[in-house]
Amino acid sequence: MFGKGKGKILLSVALVMVMVAALAGCGAKAPDKAKQGAAFKPDKPVTMVVPMAAGGSTDMLARAVEKVWSKYCPQPLQIVNKPGGGGIEGSTFVARAKPDGYTLLMGVGSGHDLVMPHIQKVEYDPFKDLTFISRLSIHSVVVLVPENSPHKSMKDVIEWAKKENKPVTASVSVKAGAVDMVMRGIGKSAGIEVTPIPHAGGSQSITTLVGGQTIMGGGHPAEVIGQLKANRVRPIGIATPDRDPSLPNVPTLKEQGINFYTWGSVKGVGAPKGTSKEIVDYYADVLKKISEDPDFKKAMGDMLQPIQYMGPEEFAKFMRQASDDYAKLVKELGLDKK
Amino acid sequence: MDIFQGLLGGFSIALSGTNMLFCFLGALLGTAVGVLPGLGPAATISLLLPVVYSMSSPATSIIFLAGIFYGAMYGGSTTSILLRIPGEAASVVTCIDGFQMAKKGRAGAALAIAAIGSFVAGTVGVIGLTFVAPPLAEFALRFGAPEYFALMLIGLLLAVFLSGDSPLKGLIMLFLGILLSNVGIDPISGKERFTFGIVSLQNGFEFVTLAMGLFGLSEVFLTLESKGAAEFVTATIGRIMPTARDWAESRWAILRGSFIGFFTGVIPGGGAVVASLTSYALEKKFAKHPEEFGQGAIAGVAGPESANNAASSASFIPLLTLGIPANASIAMIFAALLVQGVTPGPFLIQEHPDLFWGVIASMYLGNVILLVLNLPLVGLWVQLLKVPFGILGPLIVMFTVVGCYSLANDMFNVYVFIAFGVIGYILRKLRFDPGPLIMAFVLAPLIENSLRQSLLLSAGSMAIFVTRPISGTLMALFAAIVAAQAYKAVRKRKDVKCADNGE
Repeated sequence: MFGKGKGKILLSVALVMVMVAALAGCGAKAPDKAKQGAAFKPDKPVTMVVPMAAGGSTDMLARAVEKVWSKYCPQPLQIVNKPGGGGIEGSTFVARAKPDGYTLLMGVGSGHDLVMPHIQKVEYDPFKDLTFISRLSIHSVVVLVPENSPHKSMKDVIEWAKKENKPVTASVSVKAGAVDMVMRGIGKSAGIEVTPIPHAGGSQSITTLVGGQTIMGGGHPAEVIGQLKANRVRPIGIATPDRDPSLPNVPTLKEQGINFYTWGSVKGVGAPKGTSKEIVDYYADVLKKISEDPDFKKAMGDMLQPIQYMGPEEFAKFMRQASDDYAKLVKELGLDKK
Repeated sequence: MDIFQGLLGGFSIALSGTNMLFCFLGALLGTAVGVLPGLGPAATISLLLPVVYSMSSPATSIIFLAGIFYGAMYGGSTTSILLRIPGEAASVVTCIDGFQMAKKGRAGAALAIAAIGSFVAGTVGVIGLTFVAPPLAEFALRFGAPEYFALMLIGLLLAVFLSGDSPLKGLIMLFLGILLSNVGIDPISGKERFTFGIVSLQNGFEFVTLAMGLFGLSEVFLTLESKGAAEFVTATIGRIMPTARDWAESRWAILRGSFIGFFTGVIPGGGAVVASLTSYALEKKFAKHPEEFGQGAIAGVAGPESANNAASSASFIPLLTLGIPANASIAMIFAALLVQGVTPGPFLIQEHPDLFWGVIASMYLGNVILLVLNLPLVGLWVQLLKVPFGILGPLIVMFTVVGCYSLANDMFNVYVFIAFGVIGYILRKLRFDPGPLIMAFVLAPLIENSLRQSLLLSAGSMAIFVTRPISGTLMALFAAIVAAQAYKAVRKRKDVKCADNGE
């Protein structure tokens, strides 16, 4: 069937494929055992998995941490982006990694941890499969209108909708995403009809809004910083219970009489379940020092990402609370119905 | 004038020793990234972000990253032409005629015209960026969902022209492309489609795995099987400089490609892939000998290669003037700027004129560097063809596998790549051309989403497509193309009938 030469070639191509398959098997195994001892100190580089694409707001947070990391930890931090499944794949990877203190997860508390489990089955349970180390920030949802909009506040939008009896079109990043929930919540709480228009991601939805194609829209402040600074969009409401420290002049929805809030997208750091207390305390301490570092503060300020540090116990309590809140919200908004 | 003053200031920054060095390094690295199959600019930029953060000036870091980005667009043509493996997504159509040219011993001419076309288009793009960026970005913002829909409909129509000899087979491939593009979470309803519960499929198939599998890996399989396994392409390399006839055929293709690329690049979400596909279809329409397309028509290399380069320069326009990143690579440059305390957007020119003009000036330089770098390299690249397939084949498989892995740092894409390689092999054994499949895969989701978004905006009224000025004009253009095609087809049939009667 095959000539002599061809057989060899086929063999070598097959060999490469076998090698690839073998490598795939190796990837699952983590390297050597962590030294169990009183005080943990890493003796090789630490991997931080970002379950989102490079360039997004979670990735930017991780990069800002990386920038000052070496001041507080003797080993370098390697950032690995594992996008896929809206954050589920990277998180599942960490949940199944060895709890030896060399694999950390950035972005614990994003939609895939706090919202998705109430809508669909998720491959891991953040409360059972992860250890919470520290909260670093919350990316709130800011409600926006285009620059040329006649509406100056939430009240204007609601009055317009009631007077004209027209649906309010709202540009959102994806269905059941952080912004979509806020838009639905506003419609329900204010008793007006809101038509969310989903896009394939945040930057497309902002383009639609800046172009004045919809009446309102929204995003995380870090995502719309360029448009905010240039006054291409006007912020009219913050959807978290308290004002966002990065946009202190923007009133919350609650302040404007809309009885509705979400936790936005929580950004914490986690590790696989079973990570020892020594390791958790070590990184909680490193992250606390980072959160107080002046260079880190400046970078975060430039990106409109507020620093909202919480230690391990506090953060775990907060996660529980936020998850319960989201469970209620998903039900109220009818997002759990398939 | 302000622009000239700014540009002059920009050149004084770009010409400083450090910036020149990083412009050169970026262009060189970009070329390498473009040549290595699958390792795209996005993955490379994300790997280099830590290096960039430690640089003293944001201008230097952006000059470096931008160089990688447009350098990759240059280099992407190389493996497409020589091995039928797209170096990055925008080079898929270059595989079609570029590889045929290489098979006929004209690899040198194909590579040279790709480099020259890229240079012209890149320069056109930067000139556009210099003079018309802000007003153009404003215009692009008026492209809402209905305008998008109309534009993509024209694109899909052009895709039908892409299909080879058998319209039926072309149509089958078109539908297969649509089907494959449906896999993943539907952004409008949030429901999963055809994922079979596999989490890795929630974001759909990666374009790169699909293209490299269908084109590249299937080619390796075919070569393994064919008699001439030892000579992957051909031993004769041919002259490198294009002939007079080549010039005549490529001239206008390069110019048309440059303008198509420029305009698709400006519209957020358009991008280099759509630009190169559109340019290819258009060149086929314009060609005196359309039957040569798919057999090694040089215009089929010159047009798309120019288009993807112009698009990559133009995609800096929405970033620098609106603060909107149009694709993954640009999103990372956006992130790099933000972490360094620079906010891309309309105020960039006022707040950081040095950076804005420095980067633009560096792009003029970068294009010259790339041309100077790449024309002599053509000779080196074609030497690759002399490497025995027993060495080259496994190397190709290895590089493509690494590239696929780097997409998400995950094995899943590697398995998908191998599966598409097998599917591509079977399809090509059955004489199906994967071209229309690829085009439908890119365009179908854009068409579907923009259609549904439009109808949400208009509360279900179809009138939205014709009442808005831009989308109305585009729809009229669409109707005109269809009418012209129908008229041509009817007349052709009449001619055939008359001829039949005459017999």
